[in-house]
Amino acid sequence: MNVSHLSTDPVAVFDRAVATWPGRPALDIDGTVFTYAQLSALADEVAQRCEASLPAGSRVALVARRDVATYAAVLGILRSSRSYVPLHADHPPERWQQAMDLAQVAGIVDDISATGVQRTALTSPEQLQGEAYVMFTSGSTSGPKGVPVLRRHVAAYLAHALAHFGITEHDRCTQLFSLAFDLSVHDLFVTWGSGACLCVTRDAAGLRTAAHVQRAGITTWFSVPSLIDLMARMRALPANGWPTIRASFFCGEALRWDQLQRWAKAAPNSRITNLYGPTEATIAILEHPVIPPYATTGIVPIGRPFPGSRALLRGAGREGELCLGGPQVTEGYLGDTSAQANFLRAADGSVTYATGDRVRYDASGVYHFLGRMDDQVKVQGHRVEPVEVDHALQPLLAERISVTVAVERDGVMRLVTFIDGPADEVALLHALRQRLPSYMVPEAIRVLDALPLNPNGKVDKRALNELAQHG
Amino acid sequence: MVEVLMPRAARLGMHADELNDELDLLRSGLLDSLGFVDLVVELEKRCGREVDLMAAMDRPGGSTMGNLVELFTHGR
Repeated sequence: MNVSHLSTDPVAVFDRAVATWPGRPALDIDGTVFTYAQLSALADEVAQRCEASLPAGSRVALVARRDVATYAAVLGILRSSRSYVPLHADHPPERWQQAMDLAQVAGIVDDISATGVQRTALTSPEQLQGEAYVMFTSGSTSGPKGVPVLRRHVAAYLAHALAHFGITEHDRCTQLFSLAFDLSVHDLFVTWGSGACLCVTRDAAGLRTAAHVQRAGITTWFSVPSLIDLMARMRALPANGWPTIRASFFCGEALRWDQLQRWAKAAPNSRITNLYGPTEATIAILEHPVIPPYATTGIVPIGRPFPGSRALLRGAGREGELCLGGPQVTEGYLGDTSAQANFLRAADGSVTYATGDRVRYDASGVYHFLGRMDDQVKVQGHRVEPVEVDHALQPLLAERISVTVAVERDGVMRLVTFIDGPADEVALLHALRQRLPSYMVPEAIRVLDALPLNPNGKVDKRALNELAQHG
Repeated sequence: MVEVLMPRAARLGMHADELNDELDLLRSGLLDSLGFVDLVVELEKRCGREVDLMAAMDRPGGSTMGNLVELFTHGR
């Protein structure tokens, strides 16, 4: 689609689709279809309720469910010039509370047909200027980190995606990401900005994905790479099993060549693009269109930055920490957190975000992901700072300390927590399940007489990794 | 199946009597989706036959203990 002369604000792209294709399907939830006109009308109801009951420019929380009310709520909140704060439907209430307090939300939308918009807390009087949403990621100090993303950041992403990803009004696109994960913003607004149909299944765990893709006649796929592993284990990737898929995008974790090979055989008519981007740089900011011949081992490159965005290396030579600049890079986190130091501000006001990702830059200008500078890992596609598990445990441990490490076994990232001294592992795991999302609850808590130390007197995480690796 | 699940359930503080037909193995946090598929594959090995995983997962309540028991006892 040629959008070079048009606004790519998320509301503008949706409204343009409503005007152009009012009778075409915008949303298909397990076979129940809503046209652009119908979805727009539902969004208007939410927008009117927001106008009537919530302060202008405030933040509105919504529970990220896979139903039409929630999709209408996203659109309605944005249409009313408010910002949405999605809460993961499966997260414990304590996690919701942390997010809502940090974002100072003015109200929460849940099941709009029954309860409408309810005010739960008073927001700060200051009006937000053009904010689209706040997404939460794991934090290394205490609790989740909130990333406010402005509509202009989303518009910058959409300007590239709508012009170059080749989605049309005839496409049927997946919606596999939780609405509490920023990659869902691609799903919604690249699909709707193209006049295509967003195809949703209520199954959030991915187990029904294969059947859903078949039933919905999916033509455009977007997921984390680990979904390839899940589908392979389900024997759902036979050769040419997915002939209708013509475009596939992967993002959220490193894409391995063996995963890509499997996918390319199952979806042979699909072009494949590997996307890279942290939430702080709005959805994705580097891309690598993958062209045969494919390698067999290692990791697929993350490619080059979108035009207008900047990728820089912090470090000597061709390897170092990847830093990002340009119109998609956000301004900082909510609240006063030491992680704000990752946002580097130049004298001219421009912001560069230090990702913490270690990369290599090759002679052809392509970036390759090598690993993390810190302990952060991806568990089921979610960013996890293992130390956040320890912070959640700390109040329960009295004088003892815990150290959580991440190990990869059987292709799956697992967390294991070690404690120095006697503890009721079962009770602690039970308590963590009340406080943390399920993917952050360790696979096991192991009690040691003392934590191993390295020659500098610090906890020897390498030794703990070894212990965790061997069960 | 209880034999396979019990070690993990015990670590999470669950009792054997909680592993009943109604228990949703995913929603309870007992397994993640990869763990669930691995469980089905393990049960296939023990029962000596393969099931149609795609169809099995597509059933409503597909991740409950009861559904799995049904799948391996009646093949549907």
